Amino acid sequence: MGKLISAILTRAVLGGLIVVALGPILWTVLGAFKELRDIVTPVPKVFFEPTLDNFATILRNPTIRDGLLNSVIVVSAAVLVGAVLGIPAAHTLARHARKWGDDVQFFVLSLRFMPPVAIAIPFIVIYLDLGIYDTLFGLVLVYLIVTVSTVIWLAVPAFERVPRNIEEAAAMEGCGPAEIFWRFSLPVAAPSLFGALVFTFVLVWNELLLALTLAAQNATLPVVAASITSLGKEVPWGVINAATVLLVLPPLVFIGLLMGLLNTMVRSGPK
Amino acid sequence: MANISCNDIVKSYGAHPVIEGLDLDIPDHEFVVFLGPSGCGKSTMLRMIAGLEEVTGGRIAIGGTDVTDLPPGERGVAMVFQSYALYPHMSVADNITFGLRRQGASRSEIAPRLKQVAELLGLEKFLDRKPKNLSGGQQQRVAMARAMIKTPQVFLFDEPLSNLDAKLREKLRTEIRKIHMQLKTTTIFVTHDQLEAMTIADRIVLMRDGRIEQMGTPDEIYERPATRFVADFIGTPAMNFVSADIAAGDRLIAHGEGMTLELSRSAFPDLAPGQRVELGLRPARMELCTPDTSNAITGRVVLVENMGAEGQVITEVAGREVSFVTQSFRDLSPGDPVSFTISPDHIHVFDSSTGHSLRRN
Amino acid sequence: MTRKRFVTLTLVPAIGLLATLALVSIAGAVWFAVMNRTLRSPDYDFVGAYNFLRLLRDRRFFNALEISAIWEAVTVAGTLALAVFLAVLIFETVKKPLYRNLICFAFLVPVLLPRVAAAFIWRFLYSPSLGVLNYLCGLVGIGPVEFLADPSLALISVAAVDIWQWGLFFSVILLKLLETLPRDPIEAAMLDNARTWEIHAFVTLPMLRGPLISLALVKAVESLRSFDLIFVMTGGGPGTATETLDLYAYQMGINMGGRISYASAMSLLLLVVTTVAFTIIWKAGKKWAS
Repeated sequence: MGKLISAILTRAVLGGLIVVALGPILWTVLGAFKELRDIVTPVPKVFFEPTLDNFATILRNPTIRDGLLNSVIVVSAAVLVGAVLGIPAAHTLARHARKWGDDVQFFVLSLRFMPPVAIAIPFIVIYLDLGIYDTLFGLVLVYLIVTVSTVIWLAVPAFERVPRNIEEAAAMEGCGPAEIFWRFSLPVAAPSLFGALVFTFVLVWNELLLALTLAAQNATLPVVAASITSLGKEVPWGVINAATVLLVLPPLVFIGLLMGLLNTMVRSGPK
Repeated sequence: MANISCNDIVKSYGAHPVIEGLDLDIPDHEFVVFLGPSGCGKSTMLRMIAGLEEVTGGRIAIGGTDVTDLPPGERGVAMVFQSYALYPHMSVADNITFGLRRQGASRSEIAPRLKQVAELLGLEKFLDRKPKNLSGGQQQRVAMARAMIKTPQVFLFDEPLSNLDAKLREKLRTEIRKIHMQLKTTTIFVTHDQLEAMTIADRIVLMRDGRIEQMGTPDEIYERPATRFVADFIGTPAMNFVSADIAAGDRLIAHGEGMTLELSRSAFPDLAPGQRVELGLRPARMELCTPDTSNAITGRVVLVENMGAEGQVITEVAGREVSFVTQSFRDLSPGDPVSFTISPDHIHVFDSSTGHSLRRN
Repeated sequence: MTRKRFVTLTLVPAIGLLATLALVSIAGAVWFAVMNRTLRSPDYDFVGAYNFLRLLRDRRFFNALEISAIWEAVTVAGTLALAVFLAVLIFETVKKPLYRNLICFAFLVPVLLPRVAAAFIWRFLYSPSLGVLNYLCGLVGIGPVEFLADPSLALISVAAVDIWQWGLFFSVILLKLLETLPRDPIEAAMLDNARTWEIHAFVTLPMLRGPLISLALVKAVESLRSFDLIFVMTGGGPGTATETLDLYAYQMGINMGGRISYASAMSLLLLVVTTVAFTIIWKAGKKWAS
């Protein structure tokens, strides 16, 4: 009897928690396939005739298409440069810096303490004066603060987890520091590094404030999505839901990876 | 192949000295073991010879060439690590041949050498596997093959067997010894296990607090320990130590802690009456006797530990514990009176303040 | 390549870039803070501490300061409390690895959502006329509740979304940490007849003190990035009930009149306060955690 109760309790807890976590999102996905009259009902409708109109509206809208394209360009450029600059620096900080290494790492970390608005306000004027306001290059440049620092922050522990003996064994075979980095540390740390890049990607993909301030016509998807609300008095909920779904999809692709990253981090002791 | 000479080596981390002025010469072909408790500087010494740690002062030469400032890859040494340090992203064959491929050796040159070391270490079947699919013992063999294929002038082993279970450890120990007999490459082997050191070494370098406490063959270290520390560190069960005073008289007699023992006059000619010394009595050198035998020590059995072929008997003599080893331990039980004796030739005498051996020949 | 050259080549570009960008933004903020620059006109003059003095007399600034402080406190405390509660609950009730993994996957989804998306999702749920939450409230006879339009509820309603995203995420981390703890102390406590909650309160959570402090610090830093969520959900309203400092600085500097210098002064103060506070807290926390 007690066993039965505990089994039911377990199921109830399990179900309840999953509803709390996923329910809101599923409801939005459902909403994305509804016509407005199915949304504006006194009793929420679970069954309805699905429509693709909302997605069609979105994908036909040039602003949203441009936003998507801009997001892809800006985010991939920022993450790529962040990786190229950040990963070797992280390896050096993890392996070759003894005394001043901690200070450099703290400087990198302290960039995360900076409120984004403190970056945005001066940069808007500087960009206007330099003539790179509302350009993709300008956005990539400020995003580098985020990507380079985040990549370093996450990649240093990844390189620290590479057994030092492996690098020493390579040194015994005559490899110099660059060769050790490229042929040994990098491949061995690759899974964790990939996780770090994904995390960085999600961070800038989701970024709103800097894009909102430093771009106007050439904004990214979050900015475009955020502006849909302000379309007149009638809130186009179906369209908003569809735009939300579009915005949510890319980061969700990486959920399995995030899980793997968490597992390795927890196993080797948290930060 | 080469000899190794270390001259006045100093190593300190910041203001904290680890090794202060160490001199060491290792002849060609010799198998030397660095032995000592953890933190004695033996691994640091090895890593400095490998080039993985910089020396703070002093010079290191291998085969007559000063290598102090050379990077590890140019010293002609190969190293086997405690944690194996295999490259996890490469197959066993790639692990072994990486060094040769890196130096640009041709495929036709590499293949026969790979075959040779793989056969020597019994790795033929595993060449295509990744290291993580091998057992600990197999991984250590791969690490050894990787070191051997380069035919280095010197092999360095950093506690290579510590991560293995007892049985495998014994097996690999024998293998390493056999391979050395075959290749005759100068070898330094670091361990904290005195039994391992005794069985494998041509010579043992026993270190303590960054200094060499004694250097010699296993027999010398065991039979003629230079200090009380060495005597205590080597041998199982551990040596008994007894404080005693030298008595006046014709024969060389020491009294102390309920014992009266005759010592060898020829071994300790300098001992003077009234001198305070410390006697070292190896449990394994003692035997059961009747109470009236010369050098008999009489006490009461406290505990008998069965070790199979022989047993360690722990006795109480004048309020302190003294142990000895005997094959006829099965007749003894706690509370029994017991007498045992040790020949004067086997008694070690140390200065009670400096701990140095007072043996003169 | 020598070690020294490798170190220089790898470190200088990355750190140099970061230092330059950080320096430019800080120097820019300082420069504009002592001017009277606006977005409308390109001319500006030196005004000294005028902007800072005006801030001291700006009630809306102090309101924003207060809202920011409340936001930090509520989201950090709420996130950790929820995470600890859920992690222990799952650890104790859900034993099958498959179910646990299922929950972990579900719990990781919210934190991956862009803040803008999360904001929309919840605005939809909170909506007084067509939101599911108000429908549920109606079923039990309450409402309609103006979650986002009621000044006393708005901040909590937005904070709840933040806690939904981060609390679930942290509970996954905590659950994994609980799983990696050695079983011996827990079993010893069970032999001492400790109750379940006692085991967690006195054995497991104290063992996780270091990670818990680290998580609190990470959350405190992330809570500074409240802008996206609040901007989309309430825009700072109703009135100024949810207007945090970064929102106010944004409204001042960009939206309304583009008073760059005034906003610079504000963001400079924000920068100094957060950097100093977090440097102290972070270093102390790290020491305390170890």
